[in-house]
Amino acid sequence: MFKLERRVYPSRKTSGLVIFLSFLLAFFVTGLIFYFLGVNVVQFYLIIGNVFITPVLFLQAVFRSIPIILSSLGLVVAFRMGFWNIGAEGQIYLGMVAATGIVILHVFYDAIPISLMLIAMGVASFLAGGAWCLIAASLKAKLGVNEVLTTLMLNYIAILFVDYLVYGPWRDPEGWGFALSIPFPDYATLTFGGHPSVAGITISVAVAALVYVLFKYTKLGFVLSVLGKSSEVAKYAGMSVGRATLLGSLISGGIAGLGGFYVVSGMIGRLRPRASPGYGYTAIIVAMLAQLNPWLILPAGIFFGGLLTAGDALQSLLRLPASTITVFQSVIFLCIVLAEFFMRYKVVLKR
Amino acid sequence: MFKHASDMDKSALSGRKFSRREFLGVTKAAAIGGIIAAGIVGGAAGYLAKMPEVKEVTKTVTYTPPLKQMPIKVGYVYVGPVGDYGWSYGHDRGRKWADERFRNVESYYIESVPEPEVTSAIENLVAKDCELIITTSFGFMDGTAEAASKYPDKYFVHISGYRSGAAGNAPQNMSSAFAEFYQLYYLCGLAAGALTQTGVIGYVGAYPIPEVVRHINAYVLGAQYAYKKRTGKNIKAHVTWLFEWVAPEQARLAASALIDDKNCDVLNYTEDTPAVLMVAEEYQKKGKKVWSFSHYSDMREYGPTAHLTGPVANWGPIYLDFYRMVATKTWRSVDIWARVGDYMPWRWRQPIEKSTAGKEEGTVYLAPINPAIPEEYVSLIKQRYEEMKELLFEPFTVEGHDPEGKEPIRDQNGNVRIGPGERADRNALWSMDWLVEYIEEPLPK
Repeated sequence: MFKLERRVYPSRKTSGLVIFLSFLLAFFVTGLIFYFLGVNVVQFYLIIGNVFITPVLFLQAVFRSIPIILSSLGLVVAFRMGFWNIGAEGQIYLGMVAATGIVILHVFYDAIPISLMLIAMGVASFLAGGAWCLIAASLKAKLGVNEVLTTLMLNYIAILFVDYLVYGPWRDPEGWGFALSIPFPDYATLTFGGHPSVAGITISVAVAALVYVLFKYTKLGFVLSVLGKSSEVAKYAGMSVGRATLLGSLISGGIAGLGGFYVVSGMIGRLRPRASPGYGYTAIIVAMLAQLNPWLILPAGIFFGGLLTAGDALQSLLRLPASTITVFQSVIFLCIVLAEFFMRYKVVLKR
Repeated sequence: MFKHASDMDKSALSGRKFSRREFLGVTKAAAIGGIIAAGIVGGAAGYLAKMPEVKEVTKTVTYTPPLKQMPIKVGYVYVGPVGDYGWSYGHDRGRKWADERFRNVESYYIESVPEPEVTSAIENLVAKDCELIITTSFGFMDGTAEAASKYPDKYFVHISGYRSGAAGNAPQNMSSAFAEFYQLYYLCGLAAGALTQTGVIGYVGAYPIPEVVRHINAYVLGAQYAYKKRTGKNIKAHVTWLFEWVAPEQARLAASALIDDKNCDVLNYTEDTPAVLMVAEEYQKKGKKVWSFSHYSDMREYGPTAHLTGPVANWGPIYLDFYRMVATKTWRSVDIWARVGDYMPWRWRQPIEKSTAGKEEGTVYLAPINPAIPEEYVSLIKQRYEEMKELLFEPFTVEGHDPEGKEPIRDQNGNVRIGPGERADRNALWSMDWLVEYIEEPLPK
């Protein structure tokens, strides 16, 4: 008979191996599904692989992965401190609002000098995304409200808030009444390095390094890690749990807000309703896949961006529907959840 | 894949050259051989036995290889899945329609493309060597213009926006196109005014943008015209906003609320599913006379009793037009605003008895007209439809509003918006941000 036994200390080596195996399993299961649907599986994986070796397509993969990577990095901070932030999507939207707000302030009121524009937009979107996350965090700290619910519901509020702005006060006066903000002037677009992807990946690497430093070398990072393991221990050790929760969630939401800054300033060039197709949710899968390691977020995020890009190629080359890639993503997620299970428990053969 | 095809073509081309050269060589050799042979044989034997053979060879030299034209490659970018039975489905139907007629075309599409990622989808189609790329959602506008300046040797068409080379705010290799419905909504309004018993009509709107606002106004103006003519009273209209393009469940609730709470009995809508029509059909089954319309495609099957008529679009003729421009290298940037009459084989108005209202033609046309509409008003709808083909009749005029042709069109605050002798031009229609006086709810701002 098989029996499940709880692993007391899941070792780093085992967890790495289990994740890797589950990742392979996802490829296998997806292949099996599409094989039975009559798809040429070899060609299917060649097209996906092609995205990562063709420079033009790889650039597109990076282009699409930046908002996912940034919000994943935000989630790393939240998840490590045991704060289940499902609200990266809403924090992205708030980041977009803040960045657009700065552009409007500049264009209509001439409030900010041009040279400081991008910095001001980045800082504003960080603070706005952070503040949005802080709402849920303070509700948790003060009233004990479950953050999974509040962060999720704040997403819908954020989306409707953007709707209100672009259908109302921020509607472009020269946009024929369509729902869009004014276009961002060139100096407010993220194109340093020649392409938004380059600017985006630079920011992402910098943020990943900061998250790494935060947990490796700072006191706050240590408190957050302890908090994530057990808030009782943290309290018993006399750490200021409330303050750390608030600070950690500010950072978490703030990084997701930077993702929103990239969406409006690097990808679209103005604020539009429903501008994020769910980057904040894909970020959850990426954070899980990368095992909350900030450095692994980068390849994991680019992999998911590559999957999205491959989705386009699969449609035009194999004439598969767009949902093909959604199926693949879902299988990956299920396999990771399975891996989590095997990391916590081990199967023991008993006679 | 395409690269491979082009290589193949090149080798085919050089193959043709080679065989021709070889052919000429053979001919030459045969001719020389023939002459020598003729000289020897003729000189010796006195007759020209080989001549006919030489003649035959000379004849085949005039052979020229047939001209082969490569199929044009067209790529489409859709915002939703093609199976949505609404917007993207309609565009995919248009693509198939144009492909079927043009034949010498290979088309590709990428569906469910999120707005920020349109450039990525376009890159993918460019990599597939598509010469013509058509993006079919308003949110793709800036991305399309960006791609157009990046790839000056490709052609781009954007649907439902305002940027094109013709409009002067995009490169010359970008055109824009839109299938305009306000005239058809006016005709739906005539049907509504002819049938309403309560004198109250309803509208379920997607978003308060000018496109939807002018459709609502046109619908209410038509209803006012017919209702005033019939009863001498003014119409009353209610509008509910969904803030979604596709939201069948919310549309159902909104439609039921308009019927039960506001006493509306003819409902029109801008929502990409047949939900509102289905609600009307349910009330019909329960014995209450409630009517509704098709939207973007013929939806009669969802409400066989309740369906009156409705605006239908076929994007095919617009796409076919662009295919032709690209294939014949006669591209010029255009800003197409297809209305009744455009792309129709017969642009001139027909007498009422021969009217094509309710039949498929051109880009925008009416769904089949329900015989439940009184004969007098069916004739009126047909007459107006035919006049619209030549732009002789315009809904946003005093004549479209008042059967006596006197009352100006007023907004909800009582301000005169269109007076006698005036008609709304394109700019007024494209930036319409006011509702006509008969509508109860204010426009959300």
